[in-house]
Order: sequence, then structure tokens, then C-alpha cells
Amino acid sequence: MLLQLNNIFKWVQQGGQRIFLLKDVNLEVEEGEFISIMGPSGSGKSTLLNVIGMLDTFNEGEYEFLSESVHTLKEKYRSNLYKEYIGFVFQSYHLLDELTVEENLEMPLLYKKVKGSERKALVADMLDRFNIVGKKDLFPTQLSGGQQQLVGVARALIGKPKLILADEPTGNLNSQQSEEIMQLFQKLNKEDGVTIIQVTHSEKNAEYGSRIINLLDGRKI
Amino acid sequence: MFKNYIKIAWRSLKKQPFFTFLNTFGLAIGMAGALLIALYIYDEMSYDKMFADANSIHRIHADIKFGGDAREFAVTPAPMAEALKNDFSEIELVTRFRTRGSALVRKADDQANVKEEQTTFVDASFFEMFGLELLAGDVKTALKNPNTLVLTKTAAEKHFEIGNAVGQNLVLNNEETYTVVGVIDDFPQNSFLRDHSVFESMEGNGDAKEINWGSNNYQTFIKLIPTVNAADIQEQLRGFLGKYVIPGVQQYMPGITEEQLKKSGSYLVYSTMPLTDIHLKSHRVAEISANNDIQSIYILSFIAVFLIVLASVNFMNLSTAHSLKRAKEVGVRKTLGSNKIDLVRQFLVESGLISFLSLLLALIFAVIALPFFNTLANKDVSIPFTSPVFWVTLLGSVVILGLFSGSYPAFFMSRFMPIKVLKGGGGSSVGGGTIRNSLVVFQFAISVFLIVSTLVVYQQLKYIQGKDLGFSKDQVLIINDVYTAGDKVTSFKEQVKQLGFVKDATLSSFFPTPSSRSDSTFSPEEGGTDQENAVSMQTWAVDYDYVSTMDFELVAGRDFDKNFGNDSTTIIVNEAAVRIMKLSPKEAIGKRYTPGFDSNNPEYFTIIGVVKDFHIASLKEDIDAVSLHLGDRAYALAVKIQPGDFTNAIARIEGVWNTIVPGEPFDYYFMEDAFNNTYQSERRLGNIFIIFTVLSLLIACLGLFGLAAFNAEKRIKEIGVRKVLGASVSQISMRLTIDFLKLVGIAILISLPLGWYVMNKWLEDFTYRINIPWWVFLLAAFLAVLISVLTVSYQSIKAAIVNPVKSLRSE
Ligand SMILES: Nc1ncnc2c1ncn2[C@@H]1O[C@H](COP(=O)(O)OP(=O)(O)O)[C@@H](O)[C@H]1O
Ligand SMILES: [Mg+2]
Repeated sequence: MLLQLNNIFKWVQQGGQRIFLLKDVNLEVEEGEFISIMGPSGSGKSTLLNVIGMLDTFNEGEYEFLSESVHTLKEKYRSNLYKEYIGFVFQSYHLLDELTVEENLEMPLLYKKVKGSERKALVADMLDRFNIVGKKDLFPTQLSGGQQQLVGVARALIGKPKLILADEPTGNLNSQQSEEIMQLFQKLNKEDGVTIIQVTHSEKNAEYGSRIINLLDGRKI
Repeated sequence: MFKNYIKIAWRSLKKQPFFTFLNTFGLAIGMAGALLIALYIYDEMSYDKMFADANSIHRIHADIKFGGDAREFAVTPAPMAEALKNDFSEIELVTRFRTRGSALVRKADDQANVKEEQTTFVDASFFEMFGLELLAGDVKTALKNPNTLVLTKTAAEKHFEIGNAVGQNLVLNNEETYTVVGVIDDFPQNSFLRDHSVFESMEGNGDAKEINWGSNNYQTFIKLIPTVNAADIQEQLRGFLGKYVIPGVQQYMPGITEEQLKKSGSYLVYSTMPLTDIHLKSHRVAEISANNDIQSIYILSFIAVFLIVLASVNFMNLSTAHSLKRAKEVGVRKTLGSNKIDLVRQFLVESGLISFLSLLLALIFAVIALPFFNTLANKDVSIPFTSPVFWVTLLGSVVILGLFSGSYPAFFMSRFMPIKVLKGGGGSSVGGGTIRNSLVVFQFAISVFLIVSTLVVYQQLKYIQGKDLGFSKDQVLIINDVYTAGDKVTSFKEQVKQLGFVKDATLSSFFPTPSSRSDSTFSPEEGGTDQENAVSMQTWAVDYDYVSTMDFELVAGRDFDKNFGNDSTTIIVNEAAVRIMKLSPKEAIGKRYTPGFDSNNPEYFTIIGVVKDFHIASLKEDIDAVSLHLGDRAYALAVKIQPGDFTNAIARIEGVWNTIVPGEPFDYYFMEDAFNNTYQSERRLGNIFIIFTVLSLLIACLGLFGLAAFNAEKRIKEIGVRKVLGASVSQISMRLTIDFLKLVGIAILISLPLGWYVMNKWLEDFTYRINIPWWVFLLAAFLAVLISVLTVSYQSIKAAIVNPVKSLRSE
């Protein structure tokens, strides 16, 4: 078992009233799964993904990641989890603008304190695999959206995470670019056994996955 | 990783040239200002430390209150030296100076004189005391014989080569012949002997051997043996009063005891001061050279710290405002596995880089500003580029400054929660606004305070310059050293008076300038030598034209008059003297007073006139009591000239001088200049205030400008929406500007009372001072508001005129 959510509640207080963002969510994720979270806008998909990624907190319930209880984790330990196990892919890519493609890829390895020579090899590998060797010295703003998201995925992968969390990774891409990313996800999932949880609006994208979770008003249906 | 930090830091600075410029420029200004001040302070603190045993050398001081007025002397009696040598085993060496002022010097076979500004008699122990070596001559025998002297290199070279100086004869003031026995190096600018160039053997000064504890004329220095502290000898030194001084006084006042003296409120306390403290801490009568005030060092240190803090606050403010833009980066990095410490380190490297860039810029600023600063501070400091200590200190300070300024932004930014900043809201939710606002308030409070201070200093200076001083200080030319004309001096005076543009002229050695000092204590005919009635007055020898030339106003009695045959035993006093006598001016006329304590054979002077008070010293001091009597030995001629072509007037007078005594130097100054020099330190303070007020305002404005820019950017969407809803450009820019004006308003409320309090304290130093006018505060507030409106409105208007389509599309 990679992670397990039991009776998760999340709410915000508004005008003396509790507004629930997540209501009694239960979820078990095994290693090697490819899950798509779906639901209308405002249904709590991002919130759920952020809770899973430990970017956001919850108010009630239990969350275990690799059999460790998450809400007792210190920030420092959490950043270790990011380094070791989790890669994020964002809808708006969130590449570091002042770094080149190559340096963006190198960043997680620096935080993992991987040695120089090994770092170079891993980055070269990744550039090769994603067919972006020719772009390695360009800055993110010099790339198209699809290319940026390729770099984003490559960056999420370079630390060899067990889990990739992707919030509408193709939201800003055209259909051809979307397909490319989805095929990539599928390949990673099948060949490397990486667990993937993605948020998506598209039925077509969801079909790449092995399981679909539907949300409505913060509740799993 | 560190290399990576630097690389990223450099790129993000390059990416934000506007922000980097504001930050670097602000810090550089602060650093350059602080650097110059630090050099100045370093120089001021270095005074007299170059002498070999500087730390064990001390000067004997005397605090005396005797018959009315209290004075603190830098000089003590001639026999003090001998007594110290005899009574103290702790004292290794004693050296006395008996300063003589300027002297005219020529070679025995030459006609033309050269003027040396400062000469002094000195004991032969001089060389050992101060660890001096002779460039020529024998240090073992030098100055042991009367009528020998030692010259500094510069003074010697005016007459002969250093190599053949020893053995030559020099004539001083056209009357005394001396043999040169040695040449020493010039004294450095930061030594108390910097202006002294001629040192005559004390052996030739008869007065030095007389056992007279009644007059204080000798600067007396002691060197303590290494194991002794100055504190150890104070008590025994104070005992000198009973042991030596009282027995001396008893010759004139038989039976007087130390107790009686004390009971009448009089005292005499001897003490010592370390040589290295003199320059900044001693303000005594008869200093050997002009000293500075430790107060001004404190003020300057304060200003330096202010500047650095202001610049650093600026940095923090701009960086945290700027961090709104960096929030996304922080969030992303955290999801990539960066922890807080990594981020803090990265931001600190960035601020370190900025402070390093600022240092380079600051050095350029400092090099450019140095000549102006030197003029302003009346100094000759240079930037010690070749000194390793300087660089180590500088780089060390830069690292500390970088860490200090960077720490708040770094910790502030590293706290960002990725969820908040990645959600797309950007940095609007990151907070820190209260602290930023407080920092702006702090900066403006300091700036407004400095504006108030500057205005007050200038008002006070203006008041001093405009004040009726009781004499005419305009257009009075004083010609020095006229005694070189010998008997022909009166004919010089008469010929000058014949010149059409000359209104009047008078011969005297004393004028209403701070350097004119000659104290005597007078006792009245009625009341005898009882100390209660003693009056201490300046006694100035003048001639018949003195009162009219100086424009003194007679309030009672008459002026000296040739038609009264017996004016040689009359005096004219000022109102201050009459006040001490506890008489009205009218009552004072006809009263008789005698100088000195010789009650057996008193010589009485009759008061024939009382003149209105006039200032002879700085307006910081009370008006001195002065008495004028007729005398004929005069060093200078004061000439009152009609307004007009002064250059021509001076040339004509010099022409007369040259026909009477060809070849003698013609040396003159305007009395007004001598007066103004008294306020040099206040004027300097005023100038320094102005400059640093401008600098601090500049820094504060840079900060405000940057903040306004970021604020406008942050609210660009809001502005766009408002415009679409129909708000006008002026409404929007008003809105943005008023937010900042509120902060400036708070700053004003804090700083005005502070300025009022501090500047009143400063004014308390002056006996004659202004009341701070209310408009000073109004003007300071107005300036602050005006400057901030100008600074902010540029950004506000710029933001307000942006086409809303543009700003709403972004994101
Ligand atoms: N911090 C918050 N405070 C108040 N409401 C929030 C907050 N975060 C999210 N929401 C609300 O919760 C709901 C779910 O948001 P989100 O998870 O982003 O939806 P989705 O990603 O499914 O579109 C939305 O209605 C959103 O407005
Ligand atoms: Mg969403």
C-alpha cells in the first residue's frame, strides 16, 4: 500500500459557517496504480490532490503515506518525502524562469545532494529520453506550452519518485500535445511502475488510467 | 550547491534590473556615506597615537575658581615641573611647553623675515618624551643651552639645506638671536604639534625658573613609568594646592588657609589627562592647538549608523515587496524538495551579492565624493586602498551587512506555503505588509527628524551672524606684526589714517576675537583684597582710537581723551565687568581698582567709562568682563575701512607698509573672518546635516519609489477592473498615493516631537540662542509630504493610465 486516506474532512470557516471542501473521503492507493480524479469545476479535485501531496492540510481523518501518519510530520521531513517519493506536475508548468531546461532538470537532484557526475548523467539521460537535448540551453519562456510541460514531467521524474501528482497536466495544451503527455504517463506507469494520480476534465485522458475517482461537492461518488 | 546559488542569484538580479538598481544604489549611498564618516572618525581617533609611548604620556590640568569666575586650564605654573620630578617616583620624565604664538624668522645675515605661525619654548626632555629623532644635530645636547633652537624640516628648508642647518644663526622677531642645534621631521597632521615649527630652548626663558605658583602659562607633560596608572597619582597631585600654592598666596594674603579658600567657594584642582584624549576631550583655556569635540564624533557615528540602517531597511523593504514576485519560485522549489534552510541560504547569497555590488559602487561614490568631504570636514583623509586591514574590515562589514539585510527577507520568503502561492493568487496573499509599512514609517521619521535638525542648526547660525555683537565687525582689517616697524609704527598708523577710504585706525594687541586673552584679577580700593570683591577681567592695552574704531557704545562716562593728561591710570570697562562689581554703570564711574594682590604697594586705576557688552568668544559662552587701558606695546593695527574695493584698499595699505619697513611680511585678516571661524564647527555640523539629510531622503525615496512600483503592480488587476467600471485616472492615482501618504503622516507625527526635544537639547549649549520657530516643523512636514507625493505619484499615475485590456488579460 502506497497511501491510505480514511474519513478525510476539510473545511473552511466562512461567516460562522463551515464550508466543506472535502467530505468523508476514503481512498487507498496501491503502488503502480494510475488514477484519474474527475468532477465538475469546484468539486474539490485540486484540494484532494494537494492533500495527497501534503501541500495542503486537512481537518479531520487519517492519512498514511508509506505507513507513516502524515499529520504528525514536520516540514523538514515532508520536504524529504518530496525529494524521495513525490514528483509534481502542474497545469501551468511552474518551471523556474531564470534557469535553463537543463538546470531545471538538475534542481531536484541538487536538493537530493546527488553528486556532480551522477547528476550530469541523469540529466543527459532524461533529456535524451524526452527528446529535448536540443533545447537544453533554452529558458522556459523560449519553449512552447507542450515543450514546457514535457520539461515539467521530466523534472518530476528525474528524482525517480514512486508517485507523480498531476493537476490538469494538459489543461493548457492542444489535443496532440495532450496525447503525447498521456502516452508518456502510461509508459511510465507500465514500464517503470510509477504510481500516477492525475486530475483531469477529459474522459479521453481518464481512459489512460486504471481507475477513476469521481468527486462532487467534496464527496466521492 | 553554492555555485548554483550564485548563478541563480546573479540571474534573478539580472532579470530584475529595476529592483537590482534601486537596491544596489540605495545600499551604495548608505555605504559610501558611512565609509567616509568612518574614515573621518578613524582619523580623529588617531590623534597623538603615533608618539612612541603615547599611552604613558599625560598632561597636567588645573581647574581654578578664584574670585568670581571658574576656569579650566590646559596650563599650569612653571615650577610644577620641578615639583613633579621631586615628589613623584612614578614620573619618569617631565616636559614643559611655553607657547609664544607666531614669530618672524630670518637668517642672521638676511633682511627678509619668514613668518612661522607657532613657536614655543620647550624643555630639553622634549625629544625623549615624544620619542623624536633628529634629522640633523645631536639629540643628547640639543636644547640644553639658552638661545638654541630646533626646527622642523619644512621650517629649516626655508633658510638652508638640512645638512648644514646645525650651527647656523637665526634671528627671531628682529631681536633675539638663536643657534640652530637640530632639525626634526615635520609633525603629522594628526598630532597636537602639527602647527609648531620652531622649538626654542627653555633655558633662555627666565620666567621658567621662577617659583611662581600664581600664574599658569606652561603646558606640562609627564611620562609615567610603565607600571603606574594615572589614577594612582591624582590624590598626591591635588595635595599640591596645600603644599605649594597656598604658601605662595600667603605672601600676598598673609594668614590665608586652604579652608578659608574653600569656604569662600574658591578651589584649585590639579588633574591629568592622557595625551591621546586631548584632541577629542579637552576644551580648556590655552590649548596648544585646536581640538575637536567628542560630541561631533558621536553625532557622526550616529549618522553613519543611521545611513546604514536606512539603506538596509530599504533593502529589506524592497526585497520583501519584491518577494511577491518570487513567491511562485519558492513554492516550486519546495515541491522539488527544497527545505527552508536551502531557501534561506539562497536568498542570503542573493543579498550578499547585492551588498557586494553595492560596495563596488560605494567605493566609486566615495572616491568621487572624497575631495568635497575633505573640504567640508576640513580634513585630508584618503581611502587606504593599499591597506589589507582596510579590505578585510570592508569585506567583513559587507558580509555582515548582507546577512543582516538579507535575513528578514530570507526568512520571510522561505516561510511561504507552496499551496498558497501555487494556487495562482500569486503573492497577494503572502502578507508582511505591516512590517513593510512600519519600515517606511521608520525611514521617513528619520528623514523628517533630520530636516528639522538641519533647519534648526541653520536658524541658529543665522541668528549668530545677525546678532548685534556690541562692536563693528564689518570691514575692520587687522594687520599683524606691526611691531616690526619699531618706532615707526605710530607713523604707519598716522599715514594709514590719511588714506581716503580709512575711517579710523587703532593700535592694540587685543581685539574682540576669541584669541584675545589676558586675564588679571582686580581688587577694589574700598573692600581691600577680600576675595569676595575680586573681579577677574581681560586687561587689554589699547590706544586713544580704540573705542571709536571698534564702534563700542559708551553707556556711561567718557572715552580716553588726549586732553586729559592723566589717562594713563584710567580704565574703561564693559557692562559685564560692572555687573560683577555689583554696580550700575553710573556708580562705577570714578571707582578705583588695582590689579594683582600686592596690597603693600597698590597701583590704582580709575574707571572713566563703561561700554556696552560685546562678545569676544563664541555665543556659546557668556560675555567676558573686559577692561581697557592705554598702553603702547601693540602687535597689530586695526583699520576701519569704508565699504568698497577692498582689494585695492589692502594694496594701498600694503604700499604704505612697504615704504616704512621694506621687506617685512604684510600679514592681515578681516575681523569678521576671525569671528566666523569661531562657528566653524557649528557651520560644519550644519553642512554635514544638510548632506546627510539629503542622502537619507534620497534613500527613503528610493525605497518608497520601489514600493510604489510593486504596489501598483500587485494591484494592477484591481486597477484594471476599477477602470472598466468607470474610475478615472486621477481617482485611481489618488487612491494609490493616499495609501502611502498615511504612512508619511504617521512618520511626521513621530518625528516632530522628537526633533523638537533633541534640538532644544542642542540649543542649550548656546548662551544666546533662538526659540525653535513653529514654521520649522511645518516646513519639514511639508517637504516630506511633497517629496513623497512626487515619488509615489509617478508610479501611481503610470499604473492608472495602463489600458485595462492589457492588465486583465495577463495571468
Ligand atoms: N482556502 C479556501 N477557502 C475557501 N474556499 C476554498 C479554498 N480553497 C478552495 N476553496 C473552494 O473549494 C472548492 C474546491 O476547490 P478546488 O479543489 O480547487 O476545485 P477543483 O479543482 O475541483 O476545480 C471551490 O469551490 C473553491 O472555491
Ligand atoms: Mg482544480
